[in-house]
Amino acid sequence: MTTLLQVEQLCKHYPGFVLHDVSFSVEPGRIMGLIGKNGAGKSTILKSILNMVRRDAGAVTMLGLDYFQNEKECKQKIGVVFGGVDFYPLKKLSTITSVTRRFYSNWDQQRYEKYLRQFSLDESKPFKSLSNGMKVKYLLALALSHHAQLYLLDEPTSGLDPVSRDEILQIFTHIVKDGNRSVLFSTHITSDLDRCANDITYIQNGRVLKSADKETFLNSFDHLKTLGDNAPLTLEQIMLRTERRALDETAL
Amino acid sequence: MKLLYKELALAAHPTSIVFAFFGCLVLVPAYPYTVIFMFGCLAPYFTFFYSRETNDAWYTALLPITKREGVKGKWLLTVTIQLFQLLFSIPFAFIRNATGMESNPVGIDPTIAWYGFGLVIYAIFDLVFFSSYYKNGYKAGRAFIVAAIPMLVLIITAEGLSHLPPLAWLDSCAPQNLLRQVPILLAGALCYLFLLLCTYRISTKRFEKVDL
Repeated sequence: MTTLLQVEQLCKHYPGFVLHDVSFSVEPGRIMGLIGKNGAGKSTILKSILNMVRRDAGAVTMLGLDYFQNEKECKQKIGVVFGGVDFYPLKKLSTITSVTRRFYSNWDQQRYEKYLRQFSLDESKPFKSLSNGMKVKYLLALALSHHAQLYLLDEPTSGLDPVSRDEILQIFTHIVKDGNRSVLFSTHITSDLDRCANDITYIQNGRVLKSADKETFLNSFDHLKTLGDNAPLTLEQIMLRTERRALDETAL
Repeated sequence: MKLLYKELALAAHPTSIVFAFFGCLVLVPAYPYTVIFMFGCLAPYFTFFYSRETNDAWYTALLPITKREGVKGKWLLTVTIQLFQLLFSIPFAFIRNATGMESNPVGIDPTIAWYGFGLVIYAIFDLVFFSSYYKNGYKAGRAFIVAAIPMLVLIITAEGLSHLPPLAWLDSCAPQNLLRQVPILLAGALCYLFLLLCTYRISTKRFEKVDL
């Protein structure tokens, strides 16, 4: 089956920050976590993929199509959630949905209503009255209702309580279960990746440090082990030791 | 149509919609009617300002449309409000004449020339406002101030011209004078059409370079 997302040598220059030759791919039926500390470039990567910021170089192939040449077609088949961004806080969910569904040729109203019930969402409520977790669920319900194949999520679990995070991660697992759909989500919470990610891409200072399936990824950081470490390093240990080392090198 | 529906349902500030109905102000006995055009210019400002605060650009960027179409939505909304305002005022201008209301003592009457001036004012305002706003996609206040300068100059000019004795026919509803004003309306319509297309082209070109 076609790779759902292939990012090749994506570059973006900002004053003081450079996204440098970012490459990775997301296969069908997989959950990929984009991990890195705050300011590493995770959101910039997602925004560059989506053409929200203009890339300086690089290519993005989505669902077998060149994204920048086929933006509208590709967007019909993806669901995007930016955690922490509130749209139209005073508008009711029903109003936002009534507009959104007009833009999707594949909109499935019955499916949407099913997800409203499943996520206990009340359409008559204004967007601002939803908790952060419910906001993410609502945006996921919109994405699921137009049969998106690829889900791109920026920090969807940040600021959520453990129960809400668990629910969101369960939804991700449910999405990829049929083997045709994939999830790419950015996070700095390593336990989220421990729970559900199949693949991990680690971003450090705008560069891909490592992109691989979880097992290969964990094993590839054995050089960070110390004498007392017998078991493989956890994601949190890998992240802490990598970032701490980078900090030490900078200080020196 | 779905772009316009999205703008009306989500992005437009309610006051902008109210301003579209301000064409009825031509029934007020003594009022500087060119000020009505200022409301038509304030409408996009209110909406752009409101859109920024409600993260409209983010929502729009996630829809299956291009950045260019995002600009088109705002452009369509502005044109709709401004043209609706002018069209909505027409029956009230007729009522004014039919009821024999006295000529406006404080400014130009809603003559055919007045509509021509209105179209020119809207054309120039939109060109400057949109071009300035889409340089960065968020400085609505600055764009309004920059665009308000030519708008005010044109409003004062439109009001002032009819006070010059040789141009007094601009403020007359006599049939022969109304006929003389038709070329001004046609020129205004052409100006509006041409500059609107320029506005769209410049705005889309600029917004495509903006990083959200």
